[in-house]
Amino acid sequence: MKKVHVFVFAFFLFSGFNSTAQCNAEMLSTQCIPKLAPGFNFLKSYKIEKAGKEYIEYSYVFTKGTQYMINICEPGQSVQGITVTLEDSERHQVATNRINDQYATSIVYSCNKVGIYYIKYTFDNKGDYCGGSALGFKR
Amino acid sequence: MKILIAGLCAGMLLACDSGSKSEEQALVDAIDISNGDSEAVSAEVNDILHRIPSPLEISVLLKESGKSYNPAFLNSPDNAERYNTNYRKALNLGIYGTDLGYTNIYEHSQDGIKYLSTIKGLADELNIGQFFEMETIGRLAANSDNLDSLLLITTQNFNNINHYLQTQNRSGLSVLFLTGGWLEALHITCQVEKLNPGNTQLRETIGQQKIILESVMHLLSLYGENDKNMTALLGDMETLKKSFDQVTITSVYKPSTYEVVNGVMMVKDNSTCIIDITDADIENIRTATETIRTKITS
Repeated sequence: MKKVHVFVFAFFLFSGFNSTAQCNAEMLSTQCIPKLAPGFNFLKSYKIEKAGKEYIEYSYVFTKGTQYMINICEPGQSVQGITVTLEDSERHQVATNRINDQYATSIVYSCNKVGIYYIKYTFDNKGDYCGGSALGFKR
Repeated sequence: MKILIAGLCAGMLLACDSGSKSEEQALVDAIDISNGDSEAVSAEVNDILHRIPSPLEISVLLKESGKSYNPAFLNSPDNAERYNTNYRKALNLGIYGTDLGYTNIYEHSQDGIKYLSTIKGLADELNIGQFFEMETIGRLAANSDNLDSLLLITTQNFNNINHYLQTQNRSGLSVLFLTGGWLEALHITCQVEKLNPGNTQLRETIGQQKIILESVMHLLSLYGENDKNMTALLGDMETLKKSFDQVTITSVYKPSTYEVVNGVMMVKDNSTCIIDITDADIENIRTATETIRTKITS
């Protein structure tokens, strides 16, 4: 019986409390696509796996007059610990989903300035996060 | 070096005249697009490939600004049989991909099915046909209620192809799809502008392509040293770039403002951007685009 308890404890230790081991970023990024708001056309899905990294970054050329939506999907229902920040080509921060300690699940950015934008995912220090994200657009 | 060896082999093969037609074609295809991206090139290519806007953005712009559907702008599916090298197949696959997006956005499903079938044929020849489930896509295309699903699945297919090619160290093909697709979107925009001169939105859309052209040229330059086709294409793009040289894009940054609505961060960009493009610039861009496109599609 003791062995069973040890096994169960080990199981939770190595799987239940280790979000990276359980997390499937590919699946989460796919799940994020239908969560784009109606009217937004899907462009890209992104995997977010912290895996020891300080941040994960992708880039995309945004065009003037277009609205872009970026959402985040984590294993739970809400976004807790992954911040998405949008920076323009000169590295000015133009949008974020985080205000103080509150995380919005998505950003809608109305772009006035064409250029390369950097979509940067950062993490708080509470865990080894993973998740998915999708980018969509509408005119 | 790889190309040199392949070239010598090709020379010997042709000199001896002992190879069958299919062997010669296989060899031509093998040297057609350099394979085996280096790790550094692959990472850089991957970054840039991800950032090039989808041609679908332009098709949506055209439809939502009330411009009517015009199949005469597109590359006829009948031309596909002319494309007898991997290089031409890949470039035209990109062109047809943009044409498919255009027909889908305008809900011309019969045309869309023809483009889809052509794309599937070229993709099969490039050994990436497995990404197109024709039965599913055909069913979606047959009903305009499925437009969102159709657009989603075709976008995902092209994303999946690019991802697969990167894992196979064949990103050169992705670069060609992307170049073809982008050029076709520019061509369509230039043709629509010709029918709607003075339309600010169209003029600005053409002007904004200057930034994307820089990324496309950078991608091609990463392959240019080892691939004669890429080098030639890069040369054509340099000509196109000259037609963009007088276009100016002036941006002024101002901090954004935001509000949270139903859990969504709604961000208003307060920056400004002025795109200065003359009638002569547009005509030069249109001419240069047509010259390159004709080379690729004819």
